[in-house]
Amino acid sequence: MDLLKLINKELRAEILNKEIIITMLSFGLSIIVIISFTSNLSKQIIEAYAPGLFWLMILFVTVLGVHRSYAYEKEFNAIDLILSAPIDRGLIFIAKALSGFIFITLMQALIVFPYFIFLSIDIDVNFFPLILSTLLINLTLMFVSNLISGISMRARISEILFPVLLFPLISPLIIAATNITNSIINQAPYIEWQVWIYLLISILIVFGLSGYALFDFILEE
Amino acid sequence: MFYENKKNLYLLIVAIFLFALNSLNIFYGTPMVPDQHWAQKIFYLHVPSAWVGFLSYFIAMISGFTFLSTKKDKWDIIGTACAEIGTLFMSLVLITGPIWATPIWGKPWIWEPRLTTTLILFLTYVGYFMMRSFGGNIERVKKTSAVIAIIAFLNVPIIFFSVQFWSPELQSHPQVEMNQQPTGILIPFLISLFVFSFIFFVMLSYRKYVISINKNLTNNV
Repeated sequence: MDLLKLINKELRAEILNKEIIITMLSFGLSIIVIISFTSNLSKQIIEAYAPGLFWLMILFVTVLGVHRSYAYEKEFNAIDLILSAPIDRGLIFIAKALSGFIFITLMQALIVFPYFIFLSIDIDVNFFPLILSTLLINLTLMFVSNLISGISMRARISEILFPVLLFPLISPLIIAATNITNSIINQAPYIEWQVWIYLLISILIVFGLSGYALFDFILEE
Repeated sequence: MFYENKKNLYLLIVAIFLFALNSLNIFYGTPMVPDQHWAQKIFYLHVPSAWVGFLSYFIAMISGFTFLSTKKDKWDIIGTACAEIGTLFMSLVLITGPIWATPIWGKPWIWEPRLTTTLILFLTYVGYFMMRSFGGNIERVKKTSAVIAIIAFLNVPIIFFSVQFWSPELQSHPQVEMNQQPTGILIPFLISLFVFSFIFFVMLSYRKYVISINKNLTNNV
């Protein structure tokens, strides 16, 4: 129940402000435009790089969105109020990750069409595995980035520390995400890319459990 | 002074003596490998440096866990000292790796799983030191640094396997078939491994002393 209340609080704050979604969406669109300008290459090359560029864009957008979600707590000292409530602090981490998952999925649903249109990419794929794998990637991405954002939240230069810490730690996830999307677009059989799904699940378990167990230490004064 | 203690002074002298003997043994006592010539000699420094680097980061992770559970400053000092020494040795790995790879693989950098894991760990620890330097409140920084040390090491197998699956065609590392090496190579290698481990423990006791002195000075200011 506490978890649902915490997720509800995150969603209500976002419905009132729309800060995170709008920030992520506008930043994502700007990145797509920049990618279009800097990659005036042949259609084959663009299609080969499209999954990697897409996840790169999502990574940048995630940095902005997740940092904003924690900066908001810091600005109004809301985190101290949540900490004073009698709730498991690990649940705060899970609620942040799950609400972040909802925001990034929503943002992706809105941005995926401009991405394909601006870069003139034609895809003919089975959308079911693409959507399922993207949801798993988003969930893992949010667990990792929320843990790192929690670590850097109260640091003096949190906006710099967050990406500096996140990018090396998240590199296995980006490799997995790119390979999964690439394999699905190229219609490779599941057996060829299942290893990446297992890797994603491992990352989800390691960072999910670490975040749940360590968030108490990260937040305590 | 640290070296006024006779035991520490003797340990330092033994470490310098062992390092000099080990270097002479590597240059003059080890056989020349036909297709690698002098480049192979760097392997006696490269692999022990990697061993010490990973050992340091492993101890940093254990110290992180112990610090979070006991809140004793001693473990924060050990963790910081290990992080510093580990990063120094990881830098040596990243320098000696390309020196070895240039004549053997024909280019200085290949996304070989061990080397890539080392690079990503090194970058994560750059973030760790940024957190320690610019993190703000010292008590909070101690906790967040411990958490970074824990997740950095937990991420090692994930990074390793992700890079291995990503580029399975890459040539394997020379360390892989160590047990099949002739005695003329294996024994000097094991001696070098012992010498580097000994130097690590001497460095660790010195850095622990320096960090605790710095802490006392900071607390008294």
